[in-house]
Amino acid sequence: MDGVRDNHRDFLDATLPYLDVVWQVARHAARDGLEPEDLVQETYLRAYAAFGSFRGGNARAWLAAICLNAARSDARRRRRRPLEVTGLPLADVASGVSRDREPDVADMVIASLDAKLVARCMAKLAEPQRVCIVLVDVAGLTAREAAEALGCPRGTVLARLHRGRRRLAGLLTEAGMSHGRA
Amino acid sequence: MDEHDSLLDAFLAGDLGSADARRFDEHLLDCEACWKAVRANRVGRLAAQVLRQPAPPSLADRVTFAVELAASARQQELAAGVPGWRRWRLVGGGAVVVGVLVTLLVLLPGRGTPAMPAAVRAVAQYAQAIAPPAGPVRGQTGGRQAVPAEMGRPVAVVAGGQRIVLRTWRLGNMEAVVAVSQRPFPMPAGATGAPGGGMAWSVRLGRLGLYCINGRTSELVAAPVPAAELPSLAARLPLS
Repeated sequence: MDGVRDNHRDFLDATLPYLDVVWQVARHAARDGLEPEDLVQETYLRAYAAFGSFRGGNARAWLAAICLNAARSDARRRRRRPLEVTGLPLADVASGVSRDREPDVADMVIASLDAKLVARCMAKLAEPQRVCIVLVDVAGLTAREAAEALGCPRGTVLARLHRGRRRLAGLLTEAGMSHGRA
Repeated sequence: MDEHDSLLDAFLAGDLGSADARRFDEHLLDCEACWKAVRANRVGRLAAQVLRQPAPPSLADRVTFAVELAASARQQELAAGVPGWRRWRLVGGGAVVVGVLVTLLVLLPGRGTPAMPAAVRAVAQYAQAIAPPAGPVRGQTGGRQAVPAEMGRPVAVVAGGQRIVLRTWRLGNMEAVVAVSQRPFPMPAGATGAPGGGMAWSVRLGRLGLYCINGRTSELVAAPVPAAELPSLAARLPLS
């Protein structure tokens, strides 16, 4: 019994530092009717149940994969409409801007972006591209970790990522944002 | 994909060595198509980062509680587990017991109540952390009626498919947990009807008394006080 108690403490020690990563993934993977907080809880309960078989690899990628699978299972059960990213408040954009350069026109335009507009444009991306962008650009996984979470080669993640980013930029341009030469 | 595209992808992925990256930087000055592709990639990446949002402060508490609950349930399963060699000895006796139970279920009216529904167990588990009142229970301080003060943050949890928000309150020298759910808390075995109208019930679980009121929402109060004192305690706590 003590083993179980220790096991759950070990599990929380190993996984709670990545709560923010799971949260970012859950917010974008939760379909209508499923609260992101509930998806995070479900992710951790599934991860805890499987902790005995976790071989101590990359916990971030492992949790992200469980979160995506839990969201898929829930969606399958509900049989509702496809993923829609709902309205999201504007976050601190400065954190995403490279620190080694002065902010340029594109950065300033991006800083003024409406998160709801970005979310609407994200929802128009093909799901494989959107998932890669969520894992890497939103949740902060490396391309290698995203590949591990998705069970595909790193090159596939990179290709989807670049195509998705370009498509997202194109959709934002169509929606009225310019990203031409500064 | 030609070599040009491969170089572009490698550059965007940060896979080029410093010399190749420098050469590609120079190439960007002359190649409008590559420049636009790099630019669009960067705009897409930064735009996506706008969607980052910090996790709610209470989420860590919620996850911790849910995992502790699951660990506790697993412990109980292990504690109730029967060693394999005894299992076979019990099979024969088990068949007799099942027969008797089926007979009783057929003969006795009414529906069986789950011994301890997951939602009620979750509230009781959460309330275990409450310290017993120091000295005789009093809800007054200095002759005046004590005002309930919330302790910590609310914790939301899903147990048995039921979404529950748990709050801990301090009233005088005692603490109580108030759990609120949109769905009625199932009545556990051993619970009895209680004053409070509707489908109110109360039950004793170890040192804890639990009192449930069902209205527009369902509220379950858990505190280390005698069951008889729970209705008056509940009346003084914010229940929604």
